[in-house]
Amino acid sequence: MTGKIFHIQRFSIHDGPGIRTTVFLKGCPLSCFWCHNPEGISVSSELLYNPDKCIGCGACLQCCPNGVHLMETDQHILQRQNCTACGKCVQECFSGALEIAGLTLSVEEVMQEVLRDQAFYSRGGGVTLSGGEPLMQAAFSRAILQSCKEHAIHTAVETCGDVPWRQIETILPYTDLILMDLKLLDSDRHRAAVGRPNERILQNARLLAQQELPIEFRTPVIPTVNDGEELLALAGFVTELKQMRTRAGIAAELRWEWLAFHRLAGDKYKSLGRAYRAAALPLMPLSQLQELRKRVEREYFL
Amino acid sequence: MHQLSEVECHRTVLTFDERIASLYQTKLKHTQEKWEAIGSMDFDDHGLVLPEPESRLPIQTISGSGVPITDILLKEYSIQSNHPSGGVFGPRAVGSNFRRLLELHPTYIDPMSSLAGAYRVNFMSYRNPAWNPDCAYPHLEPQIKKYKLIPGIGAVQHFCQDLSIGLTLGWGGILDKIHRFRTINVDDEAQALYDGLEATVLGIQNWIGRHGDEAARMAAQEENPQLRQNLIEIAAINRKLVTDPPATFREGLQWVLWYQIIGKMYNMGGSLGRIDQLLYPFYQRDKFKNMLTDEEAVFHLASYLVMDTSYMQLGGPDENGVDQTNELSFLVLEAAHRLKIPANIGVSVGKNSSEELLRRGVEIQFADHAGMPKFLGVDNTSEGFTRNGYPIELGRQRIYSGCHWCAIPGREYTMNDCVKINLAAVFETALNDFLSDENVEPSAENLFACYEKHLRCAVQATAECMDFHLDHMYNDFPELHLDLLCHGPIERGRDASHGGVEFYNLCLDAAGLATVADSFAALEQRLDREKRLSWKKLKETLDANWSGGEGERVRLMMRSVPRYGHGGTPADDWGIRIAQLFTDLVKEKPTPHGFNMIPGIFSWAANILYGLDVGATPNGRFAKAPISHGPNPDPGFRKDGAPTALANIVAVVQPGYGNTAPLQIELDPGTVRLENGVQLIVGYIRTHFELGGTQINLNIVDKQKILAADKDPNRYPDLVVRVTGFSAYFGSLSPEFRRMVVDRILQE
Ligand code: SF4
Ligand code: SF4
Repeated sequence: MTGKIFHIQRFSIHDGPGIRTTVFLKGCPLSCFWCHNPEGISVSSELLYNPDKCIGCGACLQCCPNGVHLMETDQHILQRQNCTACGKCVQECFSGALEIAGLTLSVEEVMQEVLRDQAFYSRGGGVTLSGGEPLMQAAFSRAILQSCKEHAIHTAVETCGDVPWRQIETILPYTDLILMDLKLLDSDRHRAAVGRPNERILQNARLLAQQELPIEFRTPVIPTVNDGEELLALAGFVTELKQMRTRAGIAAELRWEWLAFHRLAGDKYKSLGRAYRAAALPLMPLSQLQELRKRVEREYFL
Repeated sequence: MHQLSEVECHRTVLTFDERIASLYQTKLKHTQEKWEAIGSMDFDDHGLVLPEPESRLPIQTISGSGVPITDILLKEYSIQSNHPSGGVFGPRAVGSNFRRLLELHPTYIDPMSSLAGAYRVNFMSYRNPAWNPDCAYPHLEPQIKKYKLIPGIGAVQHFCQDLSIGLTLGWGGILDKIHRFRTINVDDEAQALYDGLEATVLGIQNWIGRHGDEAARMAAQEENPQLRQNLIEIAAINRKLVTDPPATFREGLQWVLWYQIIGKMYNMGGSLGRIDQLLYPFYQRDKFKNMLTDEEAVFHLASYLVMDTSYMQLGGPDENGVDQTNELSFLVLEAAHRLKIPANIGVSVGKNSSEELLRRGVEIQFADHAGMPKFLGVDNTSEGFTRNGYPIELGRQRIYSGCHWCAIPGREYTMNDCVKINLAAVFETALNDFLSDENVEPSAENLFACYEKHLRCAVQATAECMDFHLDHMYNDFPELHLDLLCHGPIERGRDASHGGVEFYNLCLDAAGLATVADSFAALEQRLDREKRLSWKKLKETLDANWSGGEGERVRLMMRSVPRYGHGGTPADDWGIRIAQLFTDLVKEKPTPHGFNMIPGIFSWAANILYGLDVGATPNGRFAKAPISHGPNPDPGFRKDGAPTALANIVAVVQPGYGNTAPLQIELDPGTVRLENGVQLIVGYIRTHFELGGTQINLNIVDKQKILAADKDPNRYPDLVVRVTGFSAYFGSLSPEFRRMVVDRILQE
């Protein structure tokens, strides 16, 4: 079985406990304009071009069968609509200016990479599937997770939650921790910000909360999107889930983390030839974020 | 111990922390003066305090680690040569000259410190030439030149004394011991050595004694009662230590300080080794008698560490494998933590070692961002040592005592860190030879066979050089300082380099592993498999140092091959193969005179220097650019620079005979801010050692700060980094050394 991966990051320390390897799967149902992995949104492979690294050698012009690369008055221009992401030009580009985001790998190939750091997982680390949305490739994700469990590796899945419940269900037996995004409680505003309503996400969150499984909800706090009262609304929702869990006698931990917004993804957008709308957003000082967090914790006993 | 009178109790008394702060400021001031007078200092931050301005005489010389440096001499002293060349050779001449230096060497007493003494000059800087021209070695020169060997001829110190000898005997006892054995070993070699040793001890006693007098003089003039009392104590301690062994913790530290700074003055020698064990009985006794509090112990240790950055091992197994971590191990860490100056402290990490000490070490790394402490894989170094045919008990006594190295205190002569084979230089010779032979089909595989042939020659030639060194060193520049505290030199009347000690395990390190591994991988992929370029064309491009129309593109083509360290790449396989080959060749046989050699992989920071000797290499490296550092991959080996990938490859290429191939790693403080950051790094360190690693040099550095400090070092006079095995002020380093650190941190 194969799947589409755009990155495998070793010594990953921000996506779950301990030292981990994070496998980034391609494709996501949402399209958050602040996404810092924009190369993970589309299901298809894409060509990345970093003009800062290009030495203008012209090798890509000569080898591309579709005439994607053009040199116009010393300007390297890409006609991306013609690109099939075949990767031929990448092979000829030695400067590192060209790259393909989205390689087709087998479960075995992914596992080979994952197992390189197996020794480091034993002290509370493991493997995290992320993306994109790993459950857009549910069968592939499941196969990787299953293989990890066969090697006694701790597993975590980072999901946006906007997938059919039956797909989530298939991975649960092989998952030790769910990391799930919660962005907004108001569905209309959710749709406006990320392109899809949130009913399915909230429903999945409720169903997940009823599983005997540790869950970490994560909210990227995005200025102008959810940096105020929206968080209080989410706090209400998380509290409701916690109470539900207690009533059901579920002991596994349920946490809610906030992630500070940063504007570091600009280069990636540039490489994809896309506009980075989030660049215009103001940055929220950490102190303000902490202040907010304190207020929410006070009001909701979180 | 001094009891404060009732009146004194009501005065404002300086706290220990205030006094430590003062020591710190004095250290910064001394460092600033050195920056101004000497310029960059690409070596350990020794506690040298410059002579007074009117006594300074600047000269150009070569450092103890073989680096060209500016140095400052003491105007009042000049050498009395015993040779037409102007040099000073042999134990008698060296000993009498060193004695004269000690006898007019200025005193140094900081009333804030509990200990006296600082050294002002390097004796070696007066010795010119360092090697006796009568003892030339034209028979060895061609091979040295051909392979750009770092042959170790004339190398000094780099083995470890046994401090317990001195702590038991004192200088008086050592002098008696010399006198006693002088009557037993009456041959010329022994008598000459005794003359040298005796002169050294007499000089030392003179210098210490003058500190006693000076402290008394200062005390008489001191108005602050607390400092006056301190000076009175310093006077008493040092008048006593001229002959007697130390009795208290403070005296013990003072004794060790004399020994170490005199070693630094003589030839940069001396290690602290297991100082937490050696001083533990003194500490316990004082505590038992209520003469010492832990706060006071920390203060004495800080007074020590501010004057001496010698290497030490904290914790670790005794000969039976039982961990020896004690309260003092923690107090040493604490003192260094409060000082925040360069310090070379290694924390032992092994199956049975103290988890608490490791944790504390990592916490301090995180808190101070000063590259301190470093971490020692004690199980692997001691078990590896048994593969030379020694029992494990002996392996466990072989302790960390220098930059990247271990030695058995007082019983082993090692030449650690002094003898290197520049793998990249040998590769260059092999490549030229290979391409000039028209009968061989050019391929990476065939080149490897040729490389093996040359590497074997290089190893054998180096072995002959070491034999030559061992034949002559005693009569050139004997180890008069280390000999005093070794088991054997006095008893046998033989210098440690000439049969004075029990074990001879000569260190032979490889440098430039990644440069060569990446070169083989690039040749194999781009030339053999993809046939993008002919071998002839590549050779021309290398000779042209990648210049010319296609040059840069070809360079990038060779450079963009998956690298050594990435994990699972052909370059990784080449690296493993080359490390194994080197190990096998070193272990193939002993030196012609029968001395055991132990392989390691370490370039020190000399990878910059060694690079100057090597033309462009097929891994896309420019001529004269630095070769790779230790067993580490080159910066940029992976896009994410994954520390786990780094730890994996360095663990796999370990030669495994007890000498090290240290992992050099720089981490972002971002890791630290995680709630479980300390635990995470503790796990990382342990895992590297479980995989086979031997030593970790860790820096936790803020990228932005390092970049800013590189632009304007004066803005960050207190920024400390672990350059390689040693730590130093970032601002003290030359632009080249700073670049190396910056490149590692940026991973570009
Ligand atoms: S091959 Fe790469 S470096 Fe050359 S012109 Fe194309 S993008 Fe630029
Ligand atoms: S990936 Fe293929 S189609 Fe796209 S630009 Fe490169 S060579 Fe052309």
